[in-house]
Amino acid sequence: MALINVAAREIHCKIVYYGPGMGGKTTNLQYIHSQVPKDVKGDLLSIATETERTLFFDFLPLDLGKVRGFQTRFHLYTVPGQVLYERTRVAVLNGADGVVFVADSSKQKMQENVNSLRELAQNVTRQNKRFAEFPIVLQYNKRDLPAEVIASVQTMDHFLGVNRMNWPRIEAVATTGAGVFETLRAISRAVISKL
Amino acid sequence: MDPQLTSIIVPTEELGQIEECLGRLVEDTGSDYALLLDKSGQVISSKGDGDRQDITALGALIAGVFASSREVAKLLRERDFRASFQQGVRENIFIALIEEQWILCIIFNKGTHIGLVKVLTKKATDELASVLERVRQQHKARDEVLGSSFRTSMEDTIDLLFRD
Repeated sequence: MALINVAAREIHCKIVYYGPGMGGKTTNLQYIHSQVPKDVKGDLLSIATETERTLFFDFLPLDLGKVRGFQTRFHLYTVPGQVLYERTRVAVLNGADGVVFVADSSKQKMQENVNSLRELAQNVTRQNKRFAEFPIVLQYNKRDLPAEVIASVQTMDHFLGVNRMNWPRIEAVATTGAGVFETLRAISRAVISKL
Repeated sequence: MDPQLTSIIVPTEELGQIEECLGRLVEDTGSDYALLLDKSGQVISSKGDGDRQDITALGALIAGVFASSREVAKLLRERDFRASFQQGVRENIFIALIEEQWILCIIFNKGTHIGLVKVLTKKATDELASVLERVRQQHKARDEVLGSSFRTSMEDTIDLLFRD
């Protein structure tokens, strides 16, 4: 739920990167953090295990500056992707204005993608929000995988129900940054349109 | 407009009341800092000594802790943990939930007794709950802020800042 502080002239929005483990959610935030100008970004905060797997969340505040006199801030979060952390994902998703679903393009990961998306639908619904109208952007990450292991875009569309739900879908390689900002633009616009 | 995504709007008058309430809480308890957060981790208002640079991260982490403890509560078939206390060597943090929407956080040192913090926080949460109730009624203010020209300007800013 976005916060509009009329007196302080501030607008805050929360965007969560969701998806199966090792899909590239943290990499998305790391790339954004490395590329945006210093005056726009805050510190990237990561609560991770010793092996660098996300334990609770990553957090990156972005300050877009003044828009029509309102200081506008986007707070980006990731959830831990591992199945074990389902309840933690619920906690991080609390009050989110929009979600980037980072799907892994590996054929082997298709079932994990589907399970994670299904879980997201349940968690959004539990927050008394209508999933069909909730701002969501799909990112098909790791499009640089070798041909023998990568799932085609059509296959992923089919499994994730993209056509039915009318979600924007973006192909990406988060490690090189391809598609990362396109995704961020798409979800930001989707969130703003629903404020 | 989708009512489920209605934003929380804090108008000038209500923000003034919130600031006054936080200021009084800090003064009466002798605390270092008081913060009011939205459950999503956004800082609505803060009062205390000096200008904290880490306030945004603090808000995100405290809200995360609270959301996490709520899930623990559910596993224990408890509706919610309404308050939590973290004790350090120098600094302590007391956190209380206001309705299901806001989180009040007080940072205090060993010079302040926890009992006093608990009692006065209870008083403050009651007061803030009635402010929250009024904030929930605000719809007109949103339309004044979020006109179509605002959205267009916002989209231009997004395109400018988030480019490859």
